[in-house]
Amino acid sequence: MKHKNIAIVLLALLLSIATKAQQITAPKQSKSILILNATAHLGNGKIIENSAIGFKDGKLILVADATTIRLASGAYDTTIDATGKHVYPGFIAPNSTLGLVEIDAVKSSDDEDEIGLFNPHVRSIIAYNSESKVIETVRPNGVLIAQITPRGGRISGTSSIVQLDAWSWKDALLKENDGIHLDFPSSFKKSGSWFEPGTSEPNKDYKTQIEEINTFLSNAKAYNLDTAKERNLILEATKGLFDGTQTLFIHADEEKQIRDGIQVALSNGISKIVIVGGYDAYKTTDLLQKNDIGVLLRRVHDMPLSADNDVDLPYKMAKLLTDKGILVGLENSGSHERMNTRNLPFLAGTCAAYGLDKEKALQLITYNTAKILGIDNLCGTLEIGKDATLFISEGDALDMRTNKLTQAFIQGRAISLETHQSQLNTKFKEKYNQK
Amino acid sequence: MVKSKDTINPNFIRLNGFIENTTVLSGKAILANGNESKWIATKTAPFEIRKDSTKAEKLNRIIPISYPNIAFGNQKKLTEQTLLFKNATVWTNEKEGILEETDVLVKNGKIASIGKNLSDGSATVIDAKGKHLTSGIIDEHSHIAISGGVNESGQNSSAEVTIQDVVNSEDINIYRDLAGGVTTSQLLHGSANPIGGRSAIVKWKWGLTADEMLYQDQPKFIKFALGENVKQANWGTDNPTRFPQTRMGVEQVFTDNFQRAKEYEATWKNYNSNAKKDKTKAPRVDLELQTLVEILNKERFITCHSYVQSEILMMMEVAEKFNFRINTFTHILEGYKVADKMKEHGVGASTFSDWWAYKFEVNDAIPYNGPILHNQGLVVAYNSDDAEMSRRLNQEAGKVVKYGNISEEEAWKFVTLNPAKLLHLDDKIGSIKVGKDADIVLWNNNPLSIYAKAEKTIIEGVVYYDLQRDEAQRIAIANERNEIIAQLLLEKNKGMITQEPKKKEKKEYECDTLEQ
Repeated sequence: MKHKNIAIVLLALLLSIATKAQQITAPKQSKSILILNATAHLGNGKIIENSAIGFKDGKLILVADATTIRLASGAYDTTIDATGKHVYPGFIAPNSTLGLVEIDAVKSSDDEDEIGLFNPHVRSIIAYNSESKVIETVRPNGVLIAQITPRGGRISGTSSIVQLDAWSWKDALLKENDGIHLDFPSSFKKSGSWFEPGTSEPNKDYKTQIEEINTFLSNAKAYNLDTAKERNLILEATKGLFDGTQTLFIHADEEKQIRDGIQVALSNGISKIVIVGGYDAYKTTDLLQKNDIGVLLRRVHDMPLSADNDVDLPYKMAKLLTDKGILVGLENSGSHERMNTRNLPFLAGTCAAYGLDKEKALQLITYNTAKILGIDNLCGTLEIGKDATLFISEGDALDMRTNKLTQAFIQGRAISLETHQSQLNTKFKEKYNQK
Repeated sequence: MVKSKDTINPNFIRLNGFIENTTVLSGKAILANGNESKWIATKTAPFEIRKDSTKAEKLNRIIPISYPNIAFGNQKKLTEQTLLFKNATVWTNEKEGILEETDVLVKNGKIASIGKNLSDGSATVIDAKGKHLTSGIIDEHSHIAISGGVNESGQNSSAEVTIQDVVNSEDINIYRDLAGGVTTSQLLHGSANPIGGRSAIVKWKWGLTADEMLYQDQPKFIKFALGENVKQANWGTDNPTRFPQTRMGVEQVFTDNFQRAKEYEATWKNYNSNAKKDKTKAPRVDLELQTLVEILNKERFITCHSYVQSEILMMMEVAEKFNFRINTFTHILEGYKVADKMKEHGVGASTFSDWWAYKFEVNDAIPYNGPILHNQGLVVAYNSDDAEMSRRLNQEAGKVVKYGNISEEEAWKFVTLNPAKLLHLDDKIGSIKVGKDADIVLWNNNPLSIYAKAEKTIIEGVVYYDLQRDEAQRIAIANERNEIIAQLLLEKNKGMITQEPKKKEKKEYECDTLEQ
């Protein structure tokens, strides 16, 4: 036993030395790799108990039951024995501001919110700092992909989707300019002061605000139909909404907002629509279903918005929607949102605790989100032909007790799971060992 | 569907008049068009109540009040019960560790016995097979159930104020905390000034008054704070409203105040020992300094909001200079850098599992902080500071296992026994031990797991949260809501005055709630 402990300490020391070069973006994977005997959670609801997962040149080439297939010896350069462990597709954090802000309270580190009301031409990707120290702390919990999304205004701007281990934003890109974000006005307005809030009362400007959106979108539509006129770069930036190449993400929580938002978008000929937030989405499932609209559900670890709401309403919303056949992903915007990204897996875990089947809960941060973001051809599930963006965990990755990653791969590259935080851990453990 | 008309006939005829004698009334009638006329009424028979069931005015049902009188309030005062939990996995937090298939008897508000095959004729038996029984969660740092703000921030010492004066027993967050297995919290003043206000330690006895929630004979605490909040670092650079604006100034606030407190006490001692005191003028009573004198005399503990190592060392040095000790460093995200010095000083830590990146001073905050402090022998707790997190502190304890490779038994103490120790309440609460208060929680799963749900939360033998009762209440709330809406519509259709919808808004406080 004692020897084993010494061995572990030695190993840890070796690792700490070996990982001095940590946080360095992983090089292209030159080897073919086989992960054997793990419980594979495919992200599409299926599990393979004794799996064989193989990948080469960044893509999955084998996803099978190890007990039923025959592998030629030497078929893979490297074999990882993952007996007793679990393999998952990389988790996806949509509606994220990772890399746009480094420290919440430091304004000079904040690039998430441009001035102005209608900013579809503002693109998050060019401000995305792929070397943000926050990013390296979310990977070790399994979050490997994010949709980098601007905030503020009425139309906040255009988002892009990245993988989370890259030298630069260009290298990080999975899908550029995937969608445009509309922060829909609320039909209620809050009064009172910060310390003694008043009441929420009807927003008298609601109709006008919707009319402004409507006017903007119909102008944009008209502009994009006729290319001959003088160029307007703001309107031009919305082109993808009308030709079906971009998604309109409507950020809305109230039932009225959701219904009005969808109505405005549909009446202007926008076909790809997603609701972000969706506190009341469970009251609009008819409309969502009819128009095939998915929901990126607001932070699960949040308070009910009304005192008489069920105590666990935010916890069970994903189930309420899923049961009605709505495609649901989880987003995590809110206070401390960037550093909180690493808790995304546990949001899904909570949905499982409150009624959703565990594999369906996993889909909320894998397949469903990939589908909603339109990147399901690349990621979201462990299926042959998709990116080898996946990780191995010692146990159930949706539970903090057992979410312990041993290895992670992005497009086949073995990424570092070290962080400046684990470095500080090592450094100060060393301090106390010196005594 | 709609049967009643939404308007009423506006053709009113207004009558006024006077009583001539008891049988004849007369007066003037003003018609709808403004024309006037006369009217007269003669009594023909004595008054009798006519029972016309079709026309009888139906009063709206008055909805019974609950305790507190908001959603999820109790219909009647809850009573203490004798409860026998059978075959539970019992997390004792004592040397017995985690006991499998064990019975626990709760009687007279206390843990009466722990063992196998217990029985008690008067007890309600609860089958707890496959379930986990733990002591209630204790939140060392909470800001829920406080009315009117948490920061008396205008001056750099507000030792005169106490949260005990502003506990709001009608905050729905109390019920939500109970649903998350929390039984006791320390409600703290905010961190806008170096010397904050005095705290309130409460047990979440949902339905009782604020006074009844206060922990009886509670140890005295006060909130101190260091760093960015007290130096107003995030208020905008052109807006310095008071001293201190730097960590250097913060030290001086403390030494200055404690020096004055020492002198204040000496002045009073001198006065009280003076035989002729009746004839001399008494010194001025100063509530701020009086509170600091309690600290100097070790009658009041400090829980000090803190982040970076320099200020932690400074605070301990100030305390040592004035011959007292800091009881708890709260937040303390760089504690791991000076764990040895903290250990020497004898201070405990109440921190977050994984928070960082929200301010410059938490740049070096790491999720290994709690585990390192624990491994260096400090008493370590995880607190909430945040209303939302306070109801799932069990999960935060789960992160001790994840980041620290610490045993589940020790991890669980981070939110139960350890905060009880920091609050000097571990003789009464914080573990499942015969004779201690029956502040316990029954979970459907390992309490550190994301899948765990509290099924019953019990304080001193009273079941304040019960999952089954909660489900019945949800139905009752929905029915009540519909009934009230129907009553409102009925009144509206009668032509009563209406108003636009309004919703009460809640403010969730954190330490630095102020900066918005």
